[in-house]
Amino acid sequence: MESDSSFQNELNTLIGRPPGGSGVTRSPDPVNQPMIRHWAAAFEDANPVYTDPEAAEHSRFGQIVAPPLMLQTWTMPSPIITGIAERGGAPTQSEGPSIMTVFDRKGFSGTLAVGSEFEIHRHLRLGEVISASNIVESISEEKETRLGRGHFVTWLTTYSTDDGEVVGTQRFRILKFAAGGA
Amino acid sequence: MTNVVAPQIGDTLPELVLEMTSTRIVAGAIATRDFMPVHHDRDYANAQGAPEIFMNILSTNGYCGRFLTDWAGPESLIRSLKIRLGVPVFAGSTLKFTGHVTAIESIGNEQFVHIDFTASNDLGDHATGTAIVALPA
Repeated sequence: MESDSSFQNELNTLIGRPPGGSGVTRSPDPVNQPMIRHWAAAFEDANPVYTDPEAAEHSRFGQIVAPPLMLQTWTMPSPIITGIAERGGAPTQSEGPSIMTVFDRKGFSGTLAVGSEFEIHRHLRLGEVISASNIVESISEEKETRLGRGHFVTWLTTYSTDDGEVVGTQRFRILKFAAGGA
Repeated sequence: MTNVVAPQIGDTLPELVLEMTSTRIVAGAIATRDFMPVHHDRDYANAQGAPEIFMNILSTNGYCGRFLTDWAGPESLIRSLKIRLGVPVFAGSTLKFTGHVTAIESIGNEQFVHIDFTASNDLGDHATGTAIVALPA
């Protein structure tokens, strides 16, 4: 297939916009000790500033803090378990058109996560409510990859408190590809 | 608390070796609120062409964090974690983290310690990346 300049133009219009839905997700619960304890147990992370109030008080942070790499966890949607396999693992019914459907329509239905880049400004404290705001930052031109032709898509998630303080960002990069050279 | 490390350029971090049992993979997926069936349902994973359930990316980031702070200690703050993803981590595999200090900067009253690291298994590199960990000077 020749490269399709009208498709590339369509892709360019997606840059700077949310990858799907409103683009903003507010955490269903504030940063809390039970979820931190569950997380620390799952990863067997014994860092005392996450779960030991006394040790945390004597650290330079002065109180319990959340594991910094838990940032993305706070705003993960609560799943609807019934039908999750039939939805291809989507936790909920999608809320309106997503960038994915634009690629799927052109045969770029494969998805491969390529990379993640966190910048952490500070630790989160108990009681803080976090919102994640997503925009598409870049979409590459069509590339030949070992999986087939595809486009690299990068979106930027900005994590903020209710006061509007940015506490961290995450760049997430995927490859949308045409499996088997469609 | 005091720092548990006084890092020097070239220092290697203690290896972290994890037997990636199904339990470990499922525990990480649920603790990060990722309910995609490929991370907990082997039949579903098989139907998607995967031989086993495999670890989710939030868990990869979680273990990277633990690998860094197990070494850097409770006074550290991970300021940056950038990973490039490679082969999957299937249940039943062994995942090994290795890393070393590449640079140290003094910024304000902190030291920013730069680390290159890799998490690999029998299929190859699962994640390669760079991190910056801030320590009190």
